[in-house]
Amino acid sequence: MSALLNVSQLNWRTSHTCILQDISLTITKGEVIGIIGPNGAGKTSLLRCLINQNNILTKSGLSGSVHLKNKNIINYSTKELAQHFALVMQKPDPIFALSVQDVLKMGLLPHKSIFSLESDHDRGKINNALSKVGLLHMLNNNFATLSGGEQQRVLIARALVQSPQILILDEPTNHLDAFYQHQLLHLISKLNITVIMTVHDLNLASSYCQRLLLLNKGKLISDGTPEQVLTETQLHNAFGLPCQQKVNEITGSTQVSFYLPETQHANNTSTVNTHHE
Amino acid sequence: MNKVILLVTLFFLMLISGFIALSFGPANITSAQLMSCFIDTCHNKVIDVVVWQVRTPRILVAMAAGMGLAIAGAILQNTTRNPLADPYLFGIVSGAGLGATIANITLADNLTVALPLAAFLGALFSVVIVLFIAKLLQRMEQLLLAGVAVSFMLASITQFILYFGEPYATNRVIFWMMGSLSRVEMSNFYVISSILLIALFTILILHRQIDALLLGDESAASLGVNVDKLRLLMLGICAALTATIVAYCGGIGFVGLMIPHIVRQIVGVTTLKLILGSALIGAIFLIWVDVIARSALANAEIPIGIITSALGSIFFLFIMYRTRIAT
Repeated sequence: MSALLNVSQLNWRTSHTCILQDISLTITKGEVIGIIGPNGAGKTSLLRCLINQNNILTKSGLSGSVHLKNKNIINYSTKELAQHFALVMQKPDPIFALSVQDVLKMGLLPHKSIFSLESDHDRGKINNALSKVGLLHMLNNNFATLSGGEQQRVLIARALVQSPQILILDEPTNHLDAFYQHQLLHLISKLNITVIMTVHDLNLASSYCQRLLLLNKGKLISDGTPEQVLTETQLHNAFGLPCQQKVNEITGSTQVSFYLPETQHANNTSTVNTHHE
Repeated sequence: MNKVILLVTLFFLMLISGFIALSFGPANITSAQLMSCFIDTCHNKVIDVVVWQVRTPRILVAMAAGMGLAIAGAILQNTTRNPLADPYLFGIVSGAGLGATIANITLADNLTVALPLAAFLGALFSVVIVLFIAKLLQRMEQLLLAGVAVSFMLASITQFILYFGEPYATNRVIFWMMGSLSRVEMSNFYVISSILLIALFTILILHRQIDALLLGDESAASLGVNVDKLRLLMLGICAALTATIVAYCGGIGFVGLMIPHIVRQIVGVTTLKLILGSALIGAIFLIWVDVIARSALANAEIPIGIITSALGSIFFLFIMYRTRIAT
């Protein structure tokens, strides 16, 4: 396994705060990675640095480097980056009545030269991607009128059309109900490409990611398997709430549940307290 | 596929419109006489002059100007992500107005060359100011507001000059600003259509990039589009198109707002369909508005800009009314 993405000593300071502090990590091909942490921990900022969005790495206040396939990422052109990374953003902002098909066609852009026309192969790619997210029947629907979850799945299909090596998702399960949260993350984890996503729901992250990165206040607190990262002490420190960790007997994945100390059940007070010590 | 048929139909409709428009005007020319001009030669010297030297250039310029204004509007709307963007709200016309005013006041003779040139320079000047302000504000989305502000500023300077200027020159400028195709020549058509061809070619090459902007800057950037450069290039094209057209034809408002809106409803929203549809419908529209301009009143011409502005403002209110119902 070779290193696909190498982050070394990434620091991002603004005049007021420290957004990222001394982050170093290596990502190998095929990993499905979840970035977790409380609000404002720097999850999205880290994502933006990994793909050098808007040449962010050349900004002042930012130091450290990101290497993609052993080449500094700032030396890639925007088009080359688009051939490696596909981004599924949180809030698409459509104007005009774009059809689902129009949105998916955008995914062809990084691999097209300026004069090339659409081929049958391209149309096959679009249909294939759309059926993977279960929306083939919506090919001609107006994108703006779809529900949040459907829009999210269309954007993932667009990312698949882009055929990237690394799929980047910012909170992909927002707006989705339980069924689609699981369906979507299952789909993402079975794509056989490298996936890096920020996830709010720790249990979903645990179920579908092989590796978790726990961020807090811009620091990488923990990096490892869900079992290693989702410990009661580490989560308590990061989120400021006590929690209970156990293993889901059906799936075998580590699951956590937070609680407010004052809502503890009277009978359980002693057991939980000893558990914490 | 049916969109292709629609576009081909529109293309023929444009050619037929242009042909029929030849028979309108103060001089009575029957369709039989017109036919003989095309197939053979005009048998009458007067008819020959009217058809080939008066009406043909005028209709060709109407066609090219309609195409250019509609395309400029469509591109401006897609790249600024604002469905109400119009080259006229962008300071281009008031810049051209200022240029034309200065030319009229300072150079009384030799205006045939100086007026379009000064108008063009004025238009470019205003675009540079608008872009500079938008850059200063760091918000390209506010381009339009900057445009409106610059527009008022330049218009006030123009009015100041006109107020203290020579009445004859003032008259000329005011008529020019109302927009008219009555003084156009064949050479104007060549200039407008060559800029139009360059613009069309550039847009067609970049149509996928422009499409990518329709889901927002972040989305476009992640697809490998250099958003700032693309937007600047497209604004430059809009400015050049509008400035050239305004320089020859004066102020013809609202075409760039109305036509793309209609095209989105009947042809499509993605750049390729939008641009081709806007070009064709824009051309048909301006050919017929010019027919109205020169034949509605028995012995006078109505400035074409008055008609497009009247139609445009009603259309504008209609869109607002419809969106009010929809929401």
